[in-house]
Amino acid sequence: MKLVHKIMLANFINILLIALTGFFAYRSHDQVLTKLRFVEIANDLNSSFLEMRLAEKNFFLYGDKSALPEIEIKIGVVSDTIEESRANILRAIGQPKIEQLESGLANYRQALKDAKVGDLAVQAKVREAGQKLGEFTNYITVSERSEVNRIIAGSRKGLFFSLVCILLSAVGITHLMSSRVLKSLKRIEKVTFFISEGDFSKIEPNTSTDECGLAISALISMAQELRNREEQVLEARKLASIGILIAGVAHEVGNPLNNISMMAQNFIDLYDNLGRDDHIEYMKRIEEETERIQRIVKDLLDFARPKKPDLMETCINNVVNKSMRLVQNMIYICNIEAELDLKNDLPSVYIDEHQVQGVLINLLTNALHASSPGDRLRISTGFNRITNRIEVEVEDSGKGIAPEMLPHIFDPFFTTKGASGTGLGLFVSYGIIKNHKGEMKVRSELGAGTCFTIELPVYRQTERSEQCLVSGL
Amino acid sequence: MSGFRVIVIDDERIVGQMIKASMEPDGYNVETFLNAEPAFARLREEKFDVVITDLKMKGIDGMDVLRTIKTAYPEVKVIMITAFASLDSAVEAMKSKVDGFFAKPVKIKDLKECIYKLLNPVDAGAA
Repeated sequence: MKLVHKIMLANFINILLIALTGFFAYRSHDQVLTKLRFVEIANDLNSSFLEMRLAEKNFFLYGDKSALPEIEIKIGVVSDTIEESRANILRAIGQPKIEQLESGLANYRQALKDAKVGDLAVQAKVREAGQKLGEFTNYITVSERSEVNRIIAGSRKGLFFSLVCILLSAVGITHLMSSRVLKSLKRIEKVTFFISEGDFSKIEPNTSTDECGLAISALISMAQELRNREEQVLEARKLASIGILIAGVAHEVGNPLNNISMMAQNFIDLYDNLGRDDHIEYMKRIEEETERIQRIVKDLLDFARPKKPDLMETCINNVVNKSMRLVQNMIYICNIEAELDLKNDLPSVYIDEHQVQGVLINLLTNALHASSPGDRLRISTGFNRITNRIEVEVEDSGKGIAPEMLPHIFDPFFTTKGASGTGLGLFVSYGIIKNHKGEMKVRSELGAGTCFTIELPVYRQTERSEQCLVSGL
Repeated sequence: MSGFRVIVIDDERIVGQMIKASMEPDGYNVETFLNAEPAFARLREEKFDVVITDLKMKGIDGMDVLRTIKTAYPEVKVIMITAFASLDSAVEAMKSKVDGFFAKPVKIKDLKECIYKLLNPVDAGAA
């Protein structure tokens, strides 16, 4: 059901409850008024009856002849009152009781007609009829009063219960609605978080059909659209990098081929003018150029057929230490001041040690090439709790990379080393770290140095992970 | 042929060396450079007849070399060689009035013939 329908239903229930309460309160009030009105009439009748009984007494005890016409007048007054307030009386006590009252009054009148002073039988009859009238009105008054009390008590009870009901329904429905809306908002928040993280896999399929459900559906379809676009962009970038790769291959292989060709041409043309040492020198250099092509082809094959990483739970500090041992001699020769800052108790990573070591050696040799004697090289490891990743930083204080070159350093065949580099080292390294579900980042300032950061996800089975300790270099 | 002065700019050291080795016996005076700046400095100092430049180089690339020389020294012949010859780069070089365009691997004989023709237009016409 949609949220707007739910809110309308809740409002309708509340309004219905209030209307019912109002209706019953009004009805009780009306009943009480009718009863009270009748009680007034009954009081009037009662006092008329009392006066009639008093006159009746005067007649029978003292033979007061004027009493009879007086009673007759009173009877007329009573009849008029009944006639005037018939509607009210009828509503209060109903037709049978009015008829009972009227017949009582008629009996009394009839009894009075035969009344004579000293006739005890008639006297008793009149008294009985009068008494009955009085008793009747008394009885009715009392019963109506108790009826009024009953109605008031009932209406009080009714009002109290309906108030409780209204409160309960208002509080209950509001709580239910707000908790549902909050729940949906939480889901939207989660979905948007996953989208902003770029992690579309964690988004659960939507099940609810209300407005929040629709919003979530819209977000999910947007996320899917984004994922498709991302794949298309990745595909386009792959194609573009293949284009760069082919152009690079042509250029990189073209140069040593040209060198070989030119040397071979000169070797033939100038054969007689060249000495034996020159001949050997030419051939040596041709051999060197073929090695250069071989190196490019090997790097290309590494890129084209990346070996499946042989993943093992590893302590990153050990990999850093092993890599450092391999470049230690170069660091010494280049006269670079190296500093190791490896954090203790790092969570393990799940990596192919040889591949990551290759990446580290690549970064370290790059750093050394960019440095001059006396520069500093700093290698640090750490754990980033926010990203839940191990971070390895290789930072040099060398010449740095120009800002316009920085976006291209991971491109194939991009090199700042001229003919001595193939331009594939960082490209292949980047691919290796990506294969490990990691990230490789760079920041650099021209003249101040470069810092490469490798981020690797920590080993998930924490129960098996051993805390790793820094072992000496 | 003697006395003609040639500059070779290529970040591949061997290219300069081989051109120099092949042309100097013919009487050319060849100076080689790994990038354009020192070559420009030499051009400011002395008169040269031909500049052979690689297209793809770090810093100032071959196309910049061509334009700079054609603006500052229009009489100097410029020959471009490249390991990555594309139609676009050839057209661009033509527009900038390049005198010769060679794809690597370069046949030194063809290169020398081209230079000869550029420096001896009458001879070439007669041939």
